[in-house]
Amino acid sequence: MRFLARRLSALVGVLLASSMIVFGALYLAPGSPEQFLVQGRTVSPEVLAAIRSQYSLDDPLPIRYWKWLSGLFTSDLGRSLLTQQDVGALIASRIPTTLSLAAFAAVLIIAFGVGLGILAGTRGGFAERIVIFASNLGIAVPTFFAALVLMSVLSVGLGWFPVFGAGDGVVDRIWHLTLPALALSLPAIAVVARITRTAIVDESESEHVLIAVARGLPKRIILWRHTVRNSLLPVSTAVGMQIAGLIAGAFVVEYAFTLDGIGALLVNSVQRKDFAVVQAIALIMVVAFGVVNLLVDLLYAIIDPRVRLEKGRS
Amino acid sequence: MTSNESAVLGTQPAATPQRLPAAAGRLTSLRRRLGWVGIACAGIVAVVVLAALAGQFLVPYDPTVGSVTQRHLGYSAEHLLGTDQAGRDIFSRLLAGARTSLIGPLIVVITTAVAGSALALAAVWFGGKTDAFIGRVLDVLFAFPSLLLAILGVAIFGPGIVTASIALAVAYVPYSARVIRSVALRERNLPYVKAAELQGINGLTITLRHVLPNVWTQILTGSTINFGYAIVDLAALSFLGLGIQPPAADWGLMISNGQESLQQGFPEQSLYAGLCIVVTVAAMAYIGERLGGRAAAGRSKQ
Amino acid sequence: MIDIDNLELSITDPESGTVKPVLKGISLSIQRGEAVGLVGESGSGKSMTLRCILGIEPRNSTVSGDIVFDGENLRALPAERMRRLRADKIALISQNPHAALNPVLPIETYLLEGMADAHRRNAQATRARAADMLEQVGIRSVDRVLKAFPHQLSGGMLQRVVIAGAISGKPGLLLADEPTTALDVTTQAEVAAILDEKRRDLGMSMIFVTHDLDLAAAVSDRLAVMRHGEIVEIGTPEQIRDSPQHPYTRMLMSIRPTLSGTPAGGTAYDGGSTAVGIPTGGGTAVARVSAAGNSASSVAAETQIGSTL
Ligand SMILES: Nc1ncnc2c1ncn2[C@@H]1O[C@H](COP(=O)(O)OP(=O)(O)O)[C@@H](O)[C@H]1O
Ligand SMILES: [Mg+2]
Repeated sequence: MRFLARRLSALVGVLLASSMIVFGALYLAPGSPEQFLVQGRTVSPEVLAAIRSQYSLDDPLPIRYWKWLSGLFTSDLGRSLLTQQDVGALIASRIPTTLSLAAFAAVLIIAFGVGLGILAGTRGGFAERIVIFASNLGIAVPTFFAALVLMSVLSVGLGWFPVFGAGDGVVDRIWHLTLPALALSLPAIAVVARITRTAIVDESESEHVLIAVARGLPKRIILWRHTVRNSLLPVSTAVGMQIAGLIAGAFVVEYAFTLDGIGALLVNSVQRKDFAVVQAIALIMVVAFGVVNLLVDLLYAIIDPRVRLEKGRS
Repeated sequence: MTSNESAVLGTQPAATPQRLPAAAGRLTSLRRRLGWVGIACAGIVAVVVLAALAGQFLVPYDPTVGSVTQRHLGYSAEHLLGTDQAGRDIFSRLLAGARTSLIGPLIVVITTAVAGSALALAAVWFGGKTDAFIGRVLDVLFAFPSLLLAILGVAIFGPGIVTASIALAVAYVPYSARVIRSVALRERNLPYVKAAELQGINGLTITLRHVLPNVWTQILTGSTINFGYAIVDLAALSFLGLGIQPPAADWGLMISNGQESLQQGFPEQSLYAGLCIVVTVAAMAYIGERLGGRAAAGRSKQ
Repeated sequence: MIDIDNLELSITDPESGTVKPVLKGISLSIQRGEAVGLVGESGSGKSMTLRCILGIEPRNSTVSGDIVFDGENLRALPAERMRRLRADKIALISQNPHAALNPVLPIETYLLEGMADAHRRNAQATRARAADMLEQVGIRSVDRVLKAFPHQLSGGMLQRVVIAGAISGKPGLLLADEPTTALDVTTQAEVAAILDEKRRDLGMSMIFVTHDLDLAAAVSDRLAVMRHGEIVEIGTPEQIRDSPQHPYTRMLMSIRPTLSGTPAGGTAYDGGSTAVGIPTGGGTAVARVSAAGNSASSVAAETQIGSTL
């Protein structure tokens, strides 16, 4: 429990510091904050006043930060500088798409990344060489390129999948999200497959596996209980990091497939210089990133008795 | 998490290269370290670099000027790889695009190497509070997915190749600083460095004379690998319209420009530009890995 | 029981292609119930000899020669038959128990999976037997040890668990590869004594590898001295002690820390040293040590468990 408390407080500290970066970014921009926020758009005096009050520009800096931060806790993310829409509502309407995309991709990463890695690590020979080659290639293929190739071949060429949109209803949504999820997860699948394979090969050379052979244990038990199971402990961390990484990868894929997720919203907001939305989404992504990483560490602590029992003792 | 990560990846310090007197010896040693595939990869990289240096003089057409009557032409003797949606010669654009596609990553890699080693060496040399403080700062940077940090930078300073590159470098720094720090720490604890310290030689001198040369291999291999990631990440930024701006020729931008044509059934532009990226990155990654940069390869790209 | 005839092993370095001869014609016969101590400096090929018997030599090895165990040539056995032999007839105790046990599985799993009859008898009976085995090697808080993970136990404690697992199937042959080297000095003698006692009780043959000549002498009927992949001398502990033939053996005798004028009857266990003494009268010293070891070990076991759980 102390472990959990320590990790939590570290996360809170880091998130606070990150929020200062996201907040302070505004003041790094060349020119005055107003100029930056308005970006040369012609705005009515009322809108300008609204912006000034949204960012508390008449208050001293620490108070501005405090107001902004406490606003976040009451889920008041401000208003869009362009459309005056409520940023919280705007983002909330986009989150389901991003979440389904990330969840879909996570399933693919676990199924194919770990699956192919186990295949390569336990079979050896041809299967192993194919997986190593494919994973080297997969790592070199940028997400957006994978997206376009999949789109070009499977959607435009063969017409099997829709070219854009996120779909309505469960089945339709899965159908719409298949190619984006595939593109999003490809590099991660490659990385995970490779790490899994290496972990299995390393584990199979460990002394306890050699001793298990010397004890005449059945092959099946040596392979699954002692080799694969053990090697999956570190792999779980790698998988978790890849899933956390989906948060950042998602906006490229959403943009490529014109999905209405928060990633695409972030990119559009940067293009349109709507800084209020950019700040809010950046913050949400950092929080999500930190929380997923924390969950991964906790999961590891739970599944590895060496860590679990050490923590339990302290 | 890092310890797990390095456990998985078998993080090792890079081997120090042996010094061989003759150039011929160096060549055989290079071949032994790279293997034939590695030599082929080096050849690919050389071609790309050549294109980046001289491409603009070799192009058959102006890469930024097209003609409406020449849109979406197929392969021909005049247009080796056809033309794009604006009637520009795709081959010329690929050739000219090599430059921007390499300049950005070069900025990223140099900035990362300089800032990363400076932070790492300062942390190792001063230790204690400085080390802890630098560690905290890096922790905060680690809290941002790297592409997000880059996008935030672009949101503030506006799109463009230089802002995008520097923003990306900031995102890379924590990773490289951490790896370099661990190697430098080992170096610093070696007896001869301690001895130099006891002799009262000034810390900066020791760091620059003794520690830096020994982490140099690490910095170099790390940079090779970062270069590949930077190509991909910068291309992603271009693709999102946040990097270099049209009508410049750039591989990432070409993929993005080609997206609409692709949906109309003309995938050539996107496809070729993407292949250029994939092949260049794969070749560099292979070389980096063969040169012993497994430590830095641990990081996955977004 | 087991006849090793002209065993040769060489290992090819996959990078450079150089072939390194590791064993150069080892021949050794062991009777039923006999214990042979294998001594020699590190790197002389002791572990490799044991691994060849079990058929678990490293990759890139080339092995020739015969190893006949109970009438079967181990080097020419089908894989499944060899596996059954490892499970039922030949048991290995290795140097570092913390590396030998799967770190993420509890002791119970280790013991149960090793009992060949686990799937034949019901789970409860097997578990009772595992508990009984632990008691036999001097572990008192059996239930807690069964539930513990390897990292929660001391090396000495874990090595007892390994011994319990090794003898649970009453194998004909025990292969002990420096079973006490990795333990701290105070537990070395206890563990050696338990191993020795159990082996004698169950009438098992044993190859006891060590680089400690005195320890080997204490637990073995014969000693074989290895050097550079060859057995340079073989004989009873008395022969080796009184009239070493090979210069290397003489050298080994001269550098021993203790035992420069061993009184007849053997030295008793001396807490600070690993030496158990060469028993000229047939294992009396060992018996004494094991008696002392047993009571002391239980105490040690309790303390250990108390402090880690
Ligand atoms: N996995 C291996 N690969 C190559 N050589 C090995 C391997 N294991 C042991 N050797 C070599 O075999 C020789 C004998 O080793 P070993 O039997 O372990 O010696 P020891 O007598 O100390 O037990 C040593 O010279 C060692 O270098
Ligand atoms: Mg050995």
